[in-house]
Amino acid sequence: MKRHSVPVVLVALVLLTGCGGTKRKPAVLTDPGARPSAGAYPPATATPEPEQPVTEGPDIAAVAPGNPSGEDFSVNDASGENGPLEDIRFEYDRAEIGDAARATLEKHALWLQNHRAAKVTVEGHCDERGTVDYNIALGDKRARAVKDYLASLGVAGDRMHTVSLGKERPLDPSSNEQAFAKNRRAHFVVSR
Amino acid sequence: MAPTESPFRPSSSPRLRATLAIGVILAAGWWVRPGLAQAPPTNSQIIISGGGQRFAVPDCLPRAGDEASREACRTITQVLRADLKFEGLFQFVPESLFSALPPLNPENPNFEDWRSVGANILVITRAQVTGGELVLEVRVFSIDGKQVMLMRRYPGRADNPRSFAHIASDDIVALTQYRGVARTKIAFTSDRDATKPPRGKELYIVDYDGFNAKRITVNNSLNILPAWSPDGRSLAYTSYRQGSPAIFVARIYEGRSDNITKNEGQAFAPTFSPDGKRIAYASNKSGNMEIWIANADGTGAHRITSSQGSDTAPTWSPTGQEIAFTSDRAGSPQIYLMDSEGLNVRRLTTVGNWNDAPAWNPSKEYSEIAYTSRLEVGGPVSFDIAVIDLATRQVRQVTSGRGSCEYPSWAPNGRHLVFSCKRGNTWQITVSDREGRAIDTLSAGAGNNVQPDWGP
Repeated sequence: MKRHSVPVVLVALVLLTGCGGTKRKPAVLTDPGARPSAGAYPPATATPEPEQPVTEGPDIAAVAPGNPSGEDFSVNDASGENGPLEDIRFEYDRAEIGDAARATLEKHALWLQNHRAAKVTVEGHCDERGTVDYNIALGDKRARAVKDYLASLGVAGDRMHTVSLGKERPLDPSSNEQAFAKNRRAHFVVSR
Repeated sequence: MAPTESPFRPSSSPRLRATLAIGVILAAGWWVRPGLAQAPPTNSQIIISGGGQRFAVPDCLPRAGDEASREACRTITQVLRADLKFEGLFQFVPESLFSALPPLNPENPNFEDWRSVGANILVITRAQVTGGELVLEVRVFSIDGKQVMLMRRYPGRADNPRSFAHIASDDIVALTQYRGVARTKIAFTSDRDATKPPRGKELYIVDYDGFNAKRITVNNSLNILPAWSPDGRSLAYTSYRQGSPAIFVARIYEGRSDNITKNEGQAFAPTFSPDGKRIAYASNKSGNMEIWIANADGTGAHRITSSQGSDTAPTWSPTGQEIAFTSDRAGSPQIYLMDSEGLNVRRLTTVGNWNDAPAWNPSKEYSEIAYTSRLEVGGPVSFDIAVIDLATRQVRQVTSGRGSCEYPSWAPNGRHLVFSCKRGNTWQITVSDREGRAIDTLSAGAGNNVQPDWGP
């Protein structure tokens, strides 16, 4: 009996430490934006979170609890419209970001931090006044100004892509000040 | 130097006599296929010179009484007259005077009849449709010299009689020192086939007179800013089909289109060098919108401008040695010149606070650049087409009061301009001569038709 006690203990220790060393804790996926709404946590009877062999990185998807397909946010529809991030507006012939736009972009930055699977294309648009070429350059400035501001708020640059549409795709094709104001915009197309 | 409209040379001119002799020699080589028609020898080019020549272009005479031949003749008469008048090189005897003359004997015209209505040049056309083939015969007579100046026979497929008139017109204009435009084509961008949002734009080509429209791109994305290759077989353009705007080159008669600016950031506004070997364009690959040049297949891309502002809209000089472009480096968009490697940059335009979209006259006879200019400051933003003389820096206004006009492009011979004007609620392709006279809207089809580029 005694002769065997040491190996038994050793084996037990190895087993214990081995188990202790390899046993995974359930992945804790904190993604506040993915919850149904602020403060509305799932009830205690909800299915426990499954183990997820995901190594999280800055742009690796954190799959939402109870939603293994990752459908935790809506994206723009096929036409590029109706996405989760609203447009911002610009002044005539300007690419600077105004105060109202700044507040909107801060919300967008928070949303993007909370939805790490999301990538966004920032489209710069212009009203119809001025030439094709000039407006493409202006739309490029607008899109890059937005990207730079979102980057300054902590959104990784490689999640953002800019495209200038110039005056080629107006939201409102009318030729009046109201339409012009709508068309001078940065538009956000969110994808996974 | 712009050629002046020299007065009509009297028939006693030894040069005219010499060239008339050449005309007779040309007439001997009379069965020439369309497209293979040889250009007349250069020493015949003074035959028709200047605005003193008065053309009579009587109705085309069908060689047979069938309806197909008569219909072909009606089209050829109408198109040939329009083509010759468009060139702005000749005067014309009003057709209303023809009815007072005895019937035309096409084999042996009575020159005195035509002289009596003031004609110097008589253009006789005859046509016949047999099966699917149309044969057009054209003879051009000098009434004063009582000689044949040009004699050509054009056989071909009967499905587009307009093309026969276009070839004949170009051959007649070739008797002057100029190259005609009747067979040239204009590429442009239109939203006519965009049926649902997001509204796409596609490229189209039309004959110079707006007929015979053909769609080129079919991808339902944004395809804009077309630019012809000098050989007329390719269109460089900007397409968003892969998400980011990139330069594509479409070989329109081979049905293929290649992205030549892969991984180049956003690239816009391509334009071929006069020898067709290089393409200049605008790209933000370096972080800011600059002018780049690449070989026509996209290799060897390199940046040639470097400024804080946006540099866009390059256009080559006729020699390929210089490039004009737009930059807002001084605050407002203005046109600058540089050599084709980006050195020796200097500002060209100083009048107006918005000058953009330069187009260098491709003819070495006219040293000038057309561009889009906001000439009337105050009120709604509206643009006109202007031309600046590179020697004197004098600016002439081509359009005025036609709504907003932009994006000029020159005819290959430098004698006409095409641009796009917004009238009412739509943009339409508009053509004028160098001075802004004879402005006409092309019936190029439905939709907004913009960004015309006049090709070979």
